[in-house]
Amino acid sequence: MSRRMVLAMLAAFALLVAACGSDSDESDSADTETEAEATDDTAAEDTATDDTAAETEDDAAGDDSAEDTGDEGDAAPAAGAVDIDAVLAADLDNCAEAPSGEPIRVGMAMDFGEVSGFADIPGSEAVTHLADLVNCTGGVNGSPVEVRVSDIQGDPEVTASVTQELLDFGSHFLIGPPFADFGQPVLQVTGGQVPVFFAASTEPSLPNVAANSFLVSFDDTAQATAAAEFALERGFTRAVTFSSPGPYFGYNPQVFTQVFEAGRGQVISDQTYTPVDQVDFSAQVNELTDMLEGNEVVYSAMLAFQVTALRGQFEGQGLDSLTYLGTDAFEATGILAETPESTEGIYHTTHAFAEPGGRIETLLNSYEATTGEALESGTFAGLYADALFLGIQAINDCACTDPAEIGTAVAGISGFNGFTGEMSYAGTNGIPNKPVSIHQLVGGEDTLVVNWEL
Amino acid sequence: MARFVQSLLDGLGQGSIYALLALGVAVIFGVMHLLNFAHGELITVSGYVAYWGFLQGFSWTILVPLIVATAVITSVLIEQVAFRWVRGASDFTLLLTSFGVHFVVEALFLMYVSASVKSFDRPGWITDTIAIGPVTIETVDLLVIAATAITLGLTVLILQRTMFGLALRAAAEDFDAARLMGVRSDRVIRGAFALAGLLAGVAAVFWLMRAGQTTPGAGLTPMLKGVLAALIGGLGSLRGAVIGGFALGIAEVLLRQWLPGAVEGLTDGFVFVLIALLFIFRPQGLITVSHAERV
Repeated sequence: MSRRMVLAMLAAFALLVAACGSDSDESDSADTETEAEATDDTAAEDTATDDTAAETEDDAAGDDSAEDTGDEGDAAPAAGAVDIDAVLAADLDNCAEAPSGEPIRVGMAMDFGEVSGFADIPGSEAVTHLADLVNCTGGVNGSPVEVRVSDIQGDPEVTASVTQELLDFGSHFLIGPPFADFGQPVLQVTGGQVPVFFAASTEPSLPNVAANSFLVSFDDTAQATAAAEFALERGFTRAVTFSSPGPYFGYNPQVFTQVFEAGRGQVISDQTYTPVDQVDFSAQVNELTDMLEGNEVVYSAMLAFQVTALRGQFEGQGLDSLTYLGTDAFEATGILAETPESTEGIYHTTHAFAEPGGRIETLLNSYEATTGEALESGTFAGLYADALFLGIQAINDCACTDPAEIGTAVAGISGFNGFTGEMSYAGTNGIPNKPVSIHQLVGGEDTLVVNWEL
Repeated sequence: MARFVQSLLDGLGQGSIYALLALGVAVIFGVMHLLNFAHGELITVSGYVAYWGFLQGFSWTILVPLIVATAVITSVLIEQVAFRWVRGASDFTLLLTSFGVHFVVEALFLMYVSASVKSFDRPGWITDTIAIGPVTIETVDLLVIAATAITLGLTVLILQRTMFGLALRAAAEDFDAARLMGVRSDRVIRGAFALAGLLAGVAAVFWLMRAGQTTPGAGLTPMLKGVLAALIGGLGSLRGAVIGGFALGIAEVLLRQWLPGAVEGLTDGFVFVLIALLFIFRPQGLITVSHAERV
């Protein structure tokens, strides 16, 4: 009895501690003691974005907006462009004077669970690290960047309350989780008042300029279209798709089929499967064996281990000349952990190629040098890094601190040269114009085949 | 006809794993009246140990006993750490405790390992096939059916021919009477969890061989399948659990194979409709259990 009492008390204590702990891990709160002097570099150089600044200032989000808001007291950061390379080159052991302006606050509503953790964990780690680097270079025109990361715990209700907390924190813009289940609650709370970047989402239902909601990646329509056009260009005329009803796992194959068949290709069969869980495709493979000629492309939005399981079963039936084409989900789940033989030759669409010496690789190296740990995904870290710098770029462009005005400035960005390539929002409904990278696994290495322009 | 036989064989392969999982669930339910929703965590933990072993360069010859041993140890540990303290509690408390274990294990892996998929090599022969006329059988299906048959045979031997088995059956029949007759509850319950762990371990070997990966929530699906199969068979019935496992596996494959294309995506839904229909006509499941006393 006494042991039970002790256990009960321990459990109660643990619950109390958990309840008292904050959901929000404030990851960075930069010291602001003196006026920053090291801002000249940041304001001066980025040639790719100068035009944007000019365009946006001509728009409604012009000089007045800073006065309109009046919510920060201090003057808004002056217009300019962000020098990402200078930020990446920052030495955290040898920083410029700490920025003392009114902070630029970035709220991150992240899901660290199994559903979105593959993107939100490396993404939030990258953003907090980059904020440190930005502050180390003197901030953004003298203003430090403050990042607050909150865990939405894979729960739409928690997502809504976390979003409200991030608004109360004074976020100038938010970075949201990848999937619509959690993205929609974020948008319901923000109500268009604050721009939201869904960094790792390809969900077409999320972006909406009127609601200040933006994707950082291309959407599913784009990646499935690129895949179909690529397959046609490579001479494929027959395809098999694997799908599951609903968004992403169903939508990508659906768009692929439309584009492939419009291009005189033929999808000879669409097989259903259970996303994420299914690894035994005997039933589907047995059904397809007699239909296939071996020259087909197999398209799906499966995770990597599912594609390799499916491929193994096809090859077990003697169908070893099929070509496999996947989506960005293929990369999200650790392709490089699969054996080179099982992934050899597989194509997949994705967001960027981490070329040697490029920004993504520099970010990965910088993070590892600082923390001693590696970021799990360079591509997804790159998307979140882009979200951060797009927000900063918009603030620079409009020279304002009113979140709604910042959103208007985001919508006007064009030619932004980020971590995952060049992107533009001008004239879109929140889905940036950017190429779809098509990669192929060769000898266990992810190699760039083409950046597909739609 | 060949297509039907093909589906039947595929279903038997799938159902074999479900049967092993269901049997573990039934063993625990028999002695504790606990519907163990933490049963899938044995596969989760085994999966991470397999991943660790893979990183160490272990072959599947070493990984197989390692996975089974991990499942057994984990099962006994879970009993000692969690269920031991709520033995006399209500069914609802037991159920909540098992949910608690499930969420704690998942959270531990999320926090201290990774939310991302951890992949490891499948055995090279996993997709080899044998053609018998128009029917193609995967080697792994044959192996899993054979391993299941041997494991079930051994389980029957343990239950029928050993003192532990006698004590376990006596405890399942009437725990208080068994204790009065000298059966040691600690030993029986620990043994039941070890046996359930062994069964889950064998299932985990084949599950992980096919999956070639693990995640913090990897145990959820096998747990649901095991519990469902145990419910179909008649909760508490060991024979029913095995039948339920095979029935579930075969139903899944047959439905996927034979449903019209337009509704093929609703295969899982149809499986649940069939289960619901079964419970309307046989609420007790396929096998009626006369006793299922709780500890």
